[in-house]
Amino acid sequence: MDNLMNTVIQMAEGSEITLEIFFVTLIVALPLGMLAAIGRLSPIAPLSRLLEFYVWLMRGTPLMLQLLFVYFALPMVGIMLPDIAAALLAFILNYAAYFCEIFRAGIQSVPRGQYEAAKTLGMSYPLTMRRIILPQVIRMVLPPISNETINLVKDTSLIYILAMNDLLRVARTIVQREFDMTPFVVAAVFYLAMTFVLTWMFKKLEAHYGRYAQ
Amino acid sequence: MADMHSETMLRMTDIHKSYGRIEVLKGINLEVRQGEVLAIIGPSGSGKSTLLRCINRLETIQSGEIEICGQKLVHMEDGHSVYAADDEARRILASTGMVFQQFNLFPHMTVLENLIEAPIHVKHESRAEILPYARELLERVGLADRADYYPAQLSGGQQQRVAIARALCMRPQIMLFDEPTSALDPELTGEVLKTMRELAESHMTMVVVTHEMGFAREAANQVIFMAEGGIIEQGEPHEFFSHPREERTKAFLQSRL
Repeated sequence: MDNLMNTVIQMAEGSEITLEIFFVTLIVALPLGMLAAIGRLSPIAPLSRLLEFYVWLMRGTPLMLQLLFVYFALPMVGIMLPDIAAALLAFILNYAAYFCEIFRAGIQSVPRGQYEAAKTLGMSYPLTMRRIILPQVIRMVLPPISNETINLVKDTSLIYILAMNDLLRVARTIVQREFDMTPFVVAAVFYLAMTFVLTWMFKKLEAHYGRYAQ
Repeated sequence: MADMHSETMLRMTDIHKSYGRIEVLKGINLEVRQGEVLAIIGPSGSGKSTLLRCINRLETIQSGEIEICGQKLVHMEDGHSVYAADDEARRILASTGMVFQQFNLFPHMTVLENLIEAPIHVKHESRAEILPYARELLERVGLADRADYYPAQLSGGQQQRVAIARALCMRPQIMLFDEPTSALDPELTGEVLKTMRELAESHMTMVVVTHEMGFAREAANQVIFMAEGGIIEQGEPHEFFSHPREERTKAFLQSRL
């Protein structure tokens, strides 16, 4: 029993870095993804093309490779980042690309008539985006965003390869030291608990933003 | 009947518009005076909706002039149309309101929020200033008891009446209607047409693109028949419907009976 308590305490410490990666990535990548989507849809062709390339690059290569690149390749060209910052950079760039595509699809699904109605009421483009378009986009993107967010919980385990003591790495260390599989089960419970909380939160959000749809 | 000497609210002069090589408006001239109701009728593809959407810059023209309440939205310079700068254009177009075929209410806002959105965020009126007027307008269109409903909870006819109230809440001087009853079930067109008639009786200046011949005949002061991007015939409704001069007008009116 003491042993299990001990394991749980060690793993709770390991989940600290997991949660840090999760929250910082989410908080930075979401607005970044939204801005990228607005840029992607802007009539400024070079900006739109550049963002298209960025999305292709980030979605077309494994996140694992991106992590290794930031962690090992950047120092070779003289860019030294602290461990956690390197991991965060890769996560944010990767997730912002996915969020960009989700927001782009969301913005494009708002009917033209909404822009036209806003225009005939004298609303400027920024005002139209802020008051009319984005609130409708949020409702439409919640399910795919929820999906990506749950993926992010599990993707944080990739920093395992960067020798940072996240939840999964702590679990493996204990398993190897004590020849006991319990830590893996405890790790699964930790991930499931986080996913449970997120699922509940998104359900609430969807109900809140969906209140106007019959 | 509109007084011949009343002020010109809308003047369009020699309007030309093309999509690529296809000319959709071929030199349209029209004038609408204060309190007048102009009905524009014609077969689909005749350019009537496009013409209406040119008035408030939802579509742009290549050549011609547009004057709204005495102010030039578009003027000619070296054979091309030049639009007023964005801010100036928005100021000029503040005197116009529009009602769409598909209503285009903001689905994430209640009926009342739809009405007060633009007055608060565009004209910077306070809630306290605008709320009584918004409620009065809802009363006028017969939907005072639906103020806190969302658009999805209303019938098409109710939504369209909200859309009329929303446009009126910005206190426009000209109301533009783009086939306002075409998306409605037949039994719901009556309530919208009734609201529009009442608006006409209150001397609102209106331009109405419509398939409702009854409305054009009874509520309009002036009827324009368009086909293939041009005005074929124009006149006062009684004369227009009883004694159409042009063959195409006759054929069109026949097909509508």
